[in-house]
Amino acid sequence: MPMGHTATAEAGSGGLTATEHRLANGLRVVLSEDHLTPVAAVCLWYDVGSRHEVKGRTGLAHLFEHLMFQGSGQVKGNGHFELVQGAGGSLNGTTSFERTNYFETMPTHQLELALWLEADRMGSLLAALDDESMENQRDVVKNERRQRYDNVPYGTAFEKLTALAYPAGHPYHHTPIGSMADLDAATLEDARAFFRTYYAPNNAVLSVVGDIDPEETLAWVEKYFGSIAGHDGKPAPRSGALPDVIGEELREVVVEEVPARALMAAYRLPEDGTRACDAADLALTVLGGGESSRLYNRLVRRDRTAVAAGFGLLRLAGAPSLGWLDVKTSADVEVPVIEAAVDEELARFATEGPTAEEMERAQAQLEREWLDRLGTVAGRADELCRFAVLFGDPQLALTAVQRVLDVTAEEVQQAAKDRLRPDNRAVLVYEPLTADTDTDEEAAK
Amino acid sequence: MTELATMEFHPQPQAGEARPWAFPAPGRGTLGNGLTVLRCHRPGQQVVAVEVLVDAPLEAEPAGLDGVATIMARAFSEGTDKHSAEEFAAELERCGATLDAHADHPCVRLSLEVPVSRLPKALGLLADALRAPAFSDSEIERLVRNRLDEIPHETANPARRSAKQLYKELFPAASRMSRPRQGTEETVAKIDAAAVRAFYEKHVRPATATAVVVGDLTGVDLDALLGDTLGAWTGSSAEPRPVPPVSADDTGRVVIVDRPGAVQTQLLIGRIGADRHDRVWAAQVLGTYCLGGTLTSRLDRVLREEKGYTYGVRAFGQVLRSAPDGTGAALLAISGSFDTPNTGPALEDLWKVLRTLAAEGLTDAERDVAVQNLVGVAPLKYETAAAVASTLADQVEQHLPDDYQATLYRQLAATGTVEATAAAVNAFPVDRLVTVLVGDAATIEEPVRALGIGEVTVVPAE
Repeated sequence: MPMGHTATAEAGSGGLTATEHRLANGLRVVLSEDHLTPVAAVCLWYDVGSRHEVKGRTGLAHLFEHLMFQGSGQVKGNGHFELVQGAGGSLNGTTSFERTNYFETMPTHQLELALWLEADRMGSLLAALDDESMENQRDVVKNERRQRYDNVPYGTAFEKLTALAYPAGHPYHHTPIGSMADLDAATLEDARAFFRTYYAPNNAVLSVVGDIDPEETLAWVEKYFGSIAGHDGKPAPRSGALPDVIGEELREVVVEEVPARALMAAYRLPEDGTRACDAADLALTVLGGGESSRLYNRLVRRDRTAVAAGFGLLRLAGAPSLGWLDVKTSADVEVPVIEAAVDEELARFATEGPTAEEMERAQAQLEREWLDRLGTVAGRADELCRFAVLFGDPQLALTAVQRVLDVTAEEVQQAAKDRLRPDNRAVLVYEPLTADTDTDEEAAK
Repeated sequence: MTELATMEFHPQPQAGEARPWAFPAPGRGTLGNGLTVLRCHRPGQQVVAVEVLVDAPLEAEPAGLDGVATIMARAFSEGTDKHSAEEFAAELERCGATLDAHADHPCVRLSLEVPVSRLPKALGLLADALRAPAFSDSEIERLVRNRLDEIPHETANPARRSAKQLYKELFPAASRMSRPRQGTEETVAKIDAAAVRAFYEKHVRPATATAVVVGDLTGVDLDALLGDTLGAWTGSSAEPRPVPPVSADDTGRVVIVDRPGAVQTQLLIGRIGADRHDRVWAAQVLGTYCLGGTLTSRLDRVLREEKGYTYGVRAFGQVLRSAPDGTGAALLAISGSFDTPNTGPALEDLWKVLRTLAAEGLTDAERDVAVQNLVGVAPLKYETAAAVASTLADQVEQHLPDDYQATLYRQLAATGTVEATAAAVNAFPVDRLVTVLVGDAATIEEPVRALGIGEVTVVPAE
C-alpha cells in the first residue's frame, strides 16, 4: 500500500496535520494524530446523497442509511449500535444532498472494533438486508419525517424553498428526507441496487483522528477493508450547474396553521470550495449572523417588527449554495413591512460594503466556528472527509479558516452586489390560517 | 435471497488496553468580593468556557411577575455602563464570543465561550454585564415584547406544549414549578425595567455567585485576569437562599392536549423522584438507560426497531432543583412521538415494556452494556471545555462536591443488576405516571381510554 506524505503543519492549520493514503481497492484514508485525550474518531463518507436519487425514489439514500444499522455479514440485528455503545463509543450516520456519512467516536483502545464494523457493512451488508428490516425502517423514517417536518410549524419550509430554488428535475430540487409516496414505493431490490451501485471502497473516504498510532491504524484498515472489491458501476451524477443568478424572483405564499407570519428566502450563491463562497459567507454573517448583524439590529432592535431574524449559509459543492433568510414577524406586523426593510438593508450593504469593524466581527465569528468544529476529534474527522470527498484534498480542511480570514471587504461587497438581489431569490411567505381564512383561497399557490 | 459477500472476514477484534482517564478535578478559590471560582486547565481546548451561576432562582420571582428572572438574564447582554445594547453585542462578537443566559429553578446561569486569545476582553464584558447592567427602559420593553412574541411559537410546538402541560399537572398550583419557567402572557406583560432592577438588586451579588472557568489556560494569568474583571464586581454579603422542598401529584392519569389533525402524537410521561443526593441515583441512571437511554434500550427495541411506531423514545432523569439537605427532586420522564393511528397500540406496548421490566427485571448483559457505555463514553463526552464547565456548574448548582462526577463513575461501575432493576421500577411505576399526549383527540382519545392507564381528560391546545 502506498504511504502518503507526512505533512508538516501549514500556516493557519492550528498545528494540526493529516496524512493521506490509498488502498489498492481505491479506498482513500486520512489519518490525523492528536494525543490530548484517549479517544479516536472514525468517519466514513460515501460519495452518494439525495442528488443521486432518481425520480420516484426520493428519500432512498437516507432510508438506505438506516438500513446500514440493521446488521451485516458478521453483525446481527442492531449489533452496530450495541457493539459500539457497549465499548463506550458513540455513533450515528447522516444523509445530505451530496454525501452519506457514518461515524463512531471510541475510547482509543476500542478503535479497532469500529474499523471492523465499518468494513463489515461496506463489504457484506446484503448478507443481512431483508424485508423485515426494510419494512421496519420505512416506518421509522416516515415517523422521522413526521416528527421533524410534518408535525411542527414551518417544518416543511426547507423542502418548499429548496423546491423553489432549484428547478424541477434538478438533482437538488428535493431534500434528503424524500416524499411519503416515494418512501412507500421503495423496494428491497431498490435498496440492494443502491448498495451495489454506490457502496464501494473507491467511492468512499475513511478518516481516523485522535489518539492513534498511524502505522497500526493503517495496518488495521488494510486488514479489514483491503479485501473489499472496488467497482466502477457508479453513474456520473446529473449536473447541478445553474446560471449564477436566477433572473427573477420566485415566490410562494403558504396559508397554514403557524403561530406567526414569516418571511423566508433562499438566495442563489457561489459553490462551496470557492473564494466567492467564503466571501458570501462573510456577507451573510455581517447581514444576518448573530445579534450584532445589520438585519437583527434593524428588524429586532430598532424597528421591532420581528421576533427573530437571521441569515444562514447552506454550502453545496455540486450546485449553487443557498443563502438562507428566516424572519418571524412580531405580533401583527405584515410581511411587506419586513420585506421592504430587508431589501433596503441589502441594497445599502451592496452599495457601502462592510465596515472594517463588521469584517473583523464576521471573521472572528467564523474563526470561532472553525475552532469549535476542529476542536473535537469527531468534528475534525468529518471535515477531513468533507474536503477529501468534495474537493479532492483533505488538507484543505486544516487551512479553511485562513482562507476565510484572507477575504477582503471588497470581495464581500462584490458577493452582495452580485448575488443578494431580489431577482436572485426564492421567497416563501407564511400567513397564519385564521378562522375566516378561505381554505380554497387561490392566493395560497 | 441473501448475497454472499466476497470480502475476507476476520473475527471481531478484542479491545486493547484502556488508557487512563479521569473526570478533571477543578481548583477552587474565592475572590476578594466573595465570588467563588472553579478553574480547570484542559490542554488543547482553545475555546474557553466560562459559566457564572447567580443565586436568583425562579421561586424568588415576585408573585405575578413570572419571567422577570428570564428578562433579567437576557438583559445582561443588552448594554452596560460602558456600552449600549448594540455596542455590547458587537464587542462580544468581535471577540468571536457567544454569551447565553437563562433562568431556571435553581439559579440564573450565564455561559460564555471564547477563543483563549480573546478571553481577557470577553471576561471584561461578562463582568460589566454582571456588575453594571444598563437595564434601560427601552431595552427591557423590547425584551418583554420579544418574549411575548415567542410564546405562541412555544404553544405551537408539540414538545414544548407537552412540557408546559406536564409541569402544570405534576406540581401544586402554588408552586413556581407548575408554571412556565419564562412566564405567561399575563405575567410577562407586567414586567418593566423597575421590576428587573429590583430583582437584580435583591438577588444578584458576587458573594452568592460562582464562576467556572475551563480551557487551555497555558500562559494565562487567570488570577490577575479575574481580579481585573469579575473581581471588580461588588455587592453586599448574603447567605445563600434556603431551598424549598419539591412535591408533586403523580396519581396515574392521562391528559390529551387537543391538536386537531396532528399527524403525530407527542408523548411526555413524567413524575418526580430522587436527585443526585440520593444514594439510588447511580442505580437510577443505570436502570433508566436500560429502559430508554438509546436505540437499543428496551423501549426503542420494541417501539422503534420492532414496530416502527416512532423515530425514537427516550427515558431520562433531569434534576429540577437540589438542596444541600437532600430534599430536592428530579423529573423522571419518557418522551417521544408516535404516528397518530398507532398511538393506542404504541402506548399499550410501552406499558407492556414497563410491566415486563417490573415482573422480570433487567438482565446482567443489559446492565453490563449500560455500565460500559455510561462509564466508557466519559472521555468522549468531556472532550470540550464547554462540556466540562457545564458539568462542574451543574454540581455547584446542585450543591454537590467538586469530585461528584468522578465518584459517580465509580458508583456506576459498582452498581449491580438487582439494584438497577429496583431503581428503574421505582422510577417508573405503571400506576404512578402522569401522561401528556399532544395530538388529535378525535382519533386518539378512545384507544387511549381503552388502555385503562388512568383517567383521561382532554384540554384545548391554547
